[in-house]
Amino acid sequence: MKEIIICAGLFIFSGLLYGNEQKALTAEEIIKEMSVRLNPQTSKAKVKMTIMTTTQKKRIFIYKLFSKDHGEKSLLKYISPSRIKGQTILMLNDARDIWVYFPRTKRIRKLASHARRQKLKGSDFSYEDLGASNAFVDEYNAVRKDDEKKEGRQCYKLELTRKVKSSAGYSRLMLWVDKEYLIPLVIDYYQDENPGILEKELILSNIKLIDGIYTPMKFVMYNKLDNTKTVMEFTEVSYNLKISDDLFTELGMQK
Amino acid sequence: MKGIVIILFLTSVLVDARGPEIFGYFEPQYNGIYQFRRYYHFQSNKLRIDLKNNTTEYLDFGADVIFLLYFGEKNWNLLNFIPGRISAQVPPEMRLFYNFSYTDTLFLDNIYARISNTHFAVTVGKQQLSVGAGYFSNPTDIYNRKNVFDPTYEQTGHNGIRGDISLSRRCNLMMVLSPLDINFEESGKFVRIKSGIGRFDLSLVGGDIPMILTDYYHFLQTRQRRIIIGGDIVGEVLGFGVWAEAAYNRLESSSNFYESIVGFDYTFNSGLYFLLEYHRNSSGKTDYRAYDLNDWMRFFSGENKTLAQDQVYGYFQYPLNDLFNVGGSVIVVVSDRSGAFIPTFNYNILENVDFTFMFNLYIGEEGKAYGSNLGPGFLLRGRIYF
Repeated sequence: MKEIIICAGLFIFSGLLYGNEQKALTAEEIIKEMSVRLNPQTSKAKVKMTIMTTTQKKRIFIYKLFSKDHGEKSLLKYISPSRIKGQTILMLNDARDIWVYFPRTKRIRKLASHARRQKLKGSDFSYEDLGASNAFVDEYNAVRKDDEKKEGRQCYKLELTRKVKSSAGYSRLMLWVDKEYLIPLVIDYYQDENPGILEKELILSNIKLIDGIYTPMKFVMYNKLDNTKTVMEFTEVSYNLKISDDLFTELGMQK
Repeated sequence: MKGIVIILFLTSVLVDARGPEIFGYFEPQYNGIYQFRRYYHFQSNKLRIDLKNNTTEYLDFGADVIFLLYFGEKNWNLLNFIPGRISAQVPPEMRLFYNFSYTDTLFLDNIYARISNTHFAVTVGKQQLSVGAGYFSNPTDIYNRKNVFDPTYEQTGHNGIRGDISLSRRCNLMMVLSPLDINFEESGKFVRIKSGIGRFDLSLVGGDIPMILTDYYHFLQTRQRRIIIGGDIVGEVLGFGVWAEAAYNRLESSSNFYESIVGFDYTFNSGLYFLLEYHRNSSGKTDYRAYDLNDWMRFFSGENKTLAQDQVYGYFQYPLNDLFNVGGSVIVVVSDRSGAFIPTFNYNILENVDFTFMFNLYIGEEGKAYGSNLGPGFLLRGRIYF
C-alpha cells in the first residue's frame, strides 16, 4: 500500500513537473519546434485540392509536391485537370523566388514577389501560404496566450504579429498548437492592412504518424471575406527520401 | 484518311507496354469583323491531340497533331487592310496575288524525343523553342513572332536538335541547331546561357540563322544570314516585377537593326494585375506616311514585327470571382499616335472548359499602324480540354 502511495505521489509529482516544463515553453520555443515538425528535411506528397467557389462550384486539382531543406525549396507539379496538367511551380528561398513552367509552350516565367500573396489556381491558399515554410519564425514575433481547448484538444494559444521589416502577407496570426503533437490545429490569418479583420482560417486535422513524423493529412482553408473554402488532402506522403537538388532547377521543372 | 494514318503512326511510335498518355483540347472559335460597313464572319474548329510517353526515366516521346477546319469568310484580300493610297498603286491584274485563304489543315505541330537526366537534356524533332522575358514581344526569340492581341497563345513547333546542360543550380546552357538546309553552314544555330544573380535571372544569347525577306511588289524572295546577339534580365525592384530584353541583328544584305523591350508588372492585394512594356524596333518607321506596301505585307506575314519604331503595351486583369476574369490589352504606337484596345473576358465555366471573349477596337486614322480602317472585331473562343 505504501509503495502504491509513493508511486502515485511520484507520478503526480512528475506529472506536475512535466506540466510545468510544458507551461514553461516560451512562444518562440513552441513556434520553432512546430516549424521543425511541419517541415521535415525532405518530403514527397500527392495532394488533392478541392476548391469550393463563391458560386458553390467545385474545382478539383491534383498535384505532386516535393520539398527539401525543411521546405526552403518546393516544387509542385499538376497532374490534373487536363487544363493545367504538367504545369509546374518552383518555389525557392521560402517562396521568395517563384518560377512557373507551362508545358504546352515550354516556357518558364519568373514571378515577382507581389505574386506570392495571390491565390494558387483560384484556391484560398496563396503561394506564400504553401511555400513560406519558415515564415512563422522569420516573419513574426510570437506571444503566448492562455492555453485553450480547440478542436477537442488541449492547445497552446499563440499570437504572432508581423515584424516591422517583414514583407509577410498577413498583419497578425492566431495559432492553436496541439500540446501533444506540437502541430497547429487552427490558424487565423488577419488582413494585411487591418489586424482587426479576420481574412482566413485554416483547420488542420486527421493527424497520422508517417515515417515517425506526425502529419496533418487534411487542411481546410476558409476565406472569411469571400465566403469560399479550399480543402487540401494528402493522399500519399513520405519523408526523408533522397531528393536531388537538381529537381529544384529549370531542367528539374521540365522532367 | 491522312489524319488516321498520322494517329496510327504516332500511336505505333509512342506506344509501349504502359501505353501513351492521350490528352488535348477542342477549340471552336468565332470571329467577326465590321469593315467598310460590311460584317464578315468566320469560324474555326481546332482539335489538338497530344500523345506523350515516358518510355524510361531518361527517355520520353511527345507529339501533337492539329486538325483545323474553317467556315464562313475564308478568302481575304490583304489589300483591303492596307491604306487606300498604297493599295491603289497595285495594278488590278496583280490584286489576286494578295489573296489569302484559310484552308482546312492537318499537321504535326510537335513531335520529339527527349533524352534527359538531371544535368542535361537532348531533344530531337519538331519542338517548342521560345526564349525571352518580354510579354508582348521577344527581341531575342528568332523562332517565333507573338500576336500582340493574344501574346500567350501557343506557337507551332520548330525542327531542331536542342541540348540543355545544367551547369549549376541556376545556370543553364541551351544550344539549338535548326537544320534548315542541307549543309551545316546554312542551318540555324542558337546559343543561350542563363544564370541567376541574386533575385535576378540573366540570359545572354547568340545566333546565326537564315532569314527570308519578300519583295511584295514583285513577289521575289531573298534569303540572307541574320546574326543576333542579345540578352534579357528579369527580377524585382521595389516590389515591382521588372524585365528588359534586347537584341542586335546584323543582316547580310539589308540594314542592321536592334530591338528592345522593357517592362514591369504588379499585383495588388485585390488581385488586380497590370503590366506595362515599352518596345523599340529600329527597323520600324517613325513617320507613318513612309509605310509602304512591303512594310504592311511584311507586318501581316510576320517578316517584320512592327510597322512603327516605338510601341507601348499595357495589360491588366482582374478576377471578378474565382472563375471569371476581366481584363484587356492596350497597344499604343507612339510615333503615329494610333492604337488598339482589346477588352478580354475569360470564364472557366467547368473544370475543363474555358470561354474567352475578346474585342479589338482600333483608334487611329487610316494609314496609321492601327487605323480604324482595319475594322473593329471580336473573337469568341471555347476550349474543352480532355
